[in-house]
Amino acid sequence: MKEEVLFEISSLSRNSLKVKGFRFGREGTTPSCVIVGPMMGTAIDQLWIASQLVRFLRQHELANAAFVKGEILVIPTVNPYSFNMGKNFWPLDNTDIDVMFPGYDKGETTQRIAARLFEKTNNYDYAILLEARKDHVECIPYVEVLESGMSYIEDARAFGLDFIHVKEEMPNDTVSLTYNWNVWNAKAFSLISGKKGILHKHEANKVFDAIVRFLVKKELIDFSTFEGSHGNLVMPNDVEAIKSSAAGLFDTLANIGDSVVHGQPLARIFNALDGTLIQTIISPCDGIISCRYDYSLIFQNAIAYRIVKVESAQNTL
Amino acid sequence: MIEEVFNVNLPVNETLTLRRNRFSPEDISTSTKRISIVTGIHGDEIEGQYVCYLLAKWLNNNKHCIKGIVDIYPSMNPMGIDSITRGFPFYDVDLNRNFPGNTSDFMPAQVANAIVDTVRGSDFAIDIHASNIFLRELPQVRISRSTADELIPLAEKLDIEFIWVHDAVTVLESTFAHAMNSLGTKTLVVEMGVGMRITKEYGQSLTKGILNLLAHVGIIERAVLPTTKTTVSNLHSEVFFVNASKSGIFIPILEHNVTVLKGEKLGEIIDPLSGRIQETLISPCNGLLFTIREYPVVYEGSLLARILEDPKEDTAL
Ligand SMILES: [Zn+2]
Repeated sequence: MKEEVLFEISSLSRNSLKVKGFRFGREGTTPSCVIVGPMMGTAIDQLWIASQLVRFLRQHELANAAFVKGEILVIPTVNPYSFNMGKNFWPLDNTDIDVMFPGYDKGETTQRIAARLFEKTNNYDYAILLEARKDHVECIPYVEVLESGMSYIEDARAFGLDFIHVKEEMPNDTVSLTYNWNVWNAKAFSLISGKKGILHKHEANKVFDAIVRFLVKKELIDFSTFEGSHGNLVMPNDVEAIKSSAAGLFDTLANIGDSVVHGQPLARIFNALDGTLIQTIISPCDGIISCRYDYSLIFQNAIAYRIVKVESAQNTL
Repeated sequence: MIEEVFNVNLPVNETLTLRRNRFSPEDISTSTKRISIVTGIHGDEIEGQYVCYLLAKWLNNNKHCIKGIVDIYPSMNPMGIDSITRGFPFYDVDLNRNFPGNTSDFMPAQVANAIVDTVRGSDFAIDIHASNIFLRELPQVRISRSTADELIPLAEKLDIEFIWVHDAVTVLESTFAHAMNSLGTKTLVVEMGVGMRITKEYGQSLTKGILNLLAHVGIIERAVLPTTKTTVSNLHSEVFFVNASKSGIFIPILEHNVTVLKGEKLGEIIDPLSGRIQETLISPCNGLLFTIREYPVVYEGSLLARILEDPKEDTAL
């Protein structure tokens, strides 16, 4: 293992921001894979996954110098500043680094961070980004591939996770890291899981196992793992968004990953002043809960659950 | 007439309401022209509040002049405006990166969708921004190159200092202005002043400009005034950006809105701890200093100034 400072950004009163990379195997060999940890400073699951991966790879490489067969670079996070303040985004101007790609090295601070990160990561066969969802939800671990990555969707099965979500591309996706990796011909994947601000070891470890499985299947490491799931392909229309029709205290009755049936009560919403039950949210379909609103106060018309509909089980490649 | 165009209940005894003030003539026909004046999409930008007030006041006092419909929307992000929060509170996203919005997406996207729905059908719209808390801007209209031919003649009627034609960037397709222009509403974006403050002279001057535009398109009956400012655009010259290459405290030397010479000192970045100058900023060209940094703390990359280069003499002769 080689520990490197990939780049630095100085600050008026804080220690400078040092972005560290951990390199395994031999630089410039194939196959190659880069794994980038969270850009958002509250994505603690993802920081756990990335750091546990560094530990795993280091221990095995120490025991067996030929353990890593190609090259693996792990960058646990580019945003220690926000982690150290419990903030999602860049401390000074609240900008999201993941809307700055491919970056601009003569531009604003977060554009420069994006440019430097991109320059260090745009030359790998496989590129994996660890993300928490940006909205207020908790979700099951899944692989996300952009529509422009359909040509390599089969590779996403190597993670062995239950769901592979094909994301419809919107204009603001063009400035994301995974989109730009795609443009540079890497097979790019997002692994999304958990809930911001808290460590869910159970979910996080599933993602950790998925990455190890991927590295084994892609012949990046000399190791063996159990088989995972074959992977269900989820297209944009296969997910039902279930909204609240009332606002108030949100009492959830169902968990992420639960299999639910049409008509099943999912949550109750109570008036926050007088305690009246104002809505019982009912599942409109059969399926599996992929995401759940993660805060105990809910707006009217907020998305309370996302359910992968059972009908989508017929998707084939 | 003050109307509510969107309502959504918040968890604890409050409703989030978008309001507009509609001024219309007695007789409305299909040929009646309509304009929407929108501001407050970014909650830390207040300059537009004063313009809305001045405009509504003028219309209240000159009802007999109203020949078309004027809709004034002072606060498109009500919780943001009332709490110095730039983005959509709670969700921490930029509302102006979520257009045209979607009814089945999270709350900010639903609000964006409601704004588009209510403004839809207007012949014209003006979206007033006030930069951000970091930069002070000379009043300017920003137009994407793809709509320049159509919008520049309209922008000139505002009698504003500067028209900035910028390249079409995919990510900006998620702004209010892009959404409305795509739907056939000719939409101008005005940027002026600085976040969290009101610059009275800018507000007065833009209000005059808007009245002039309204007279020009026949929404109010009033003589069209000759323009008094020499509007400059960047069609024949370049905009230069000056970014910090060191972190520290920025101390400007020049006033905003002055002509600068190439090589002239713009300001310094100082280090309060060592008492040393970290960097001296020099103008890269002769031109108009139209953006200057207002917030002193800077990182490497922070934008300090923008200068519109003087048009080049044609040396080919
Ligand atoms: Zn703005």
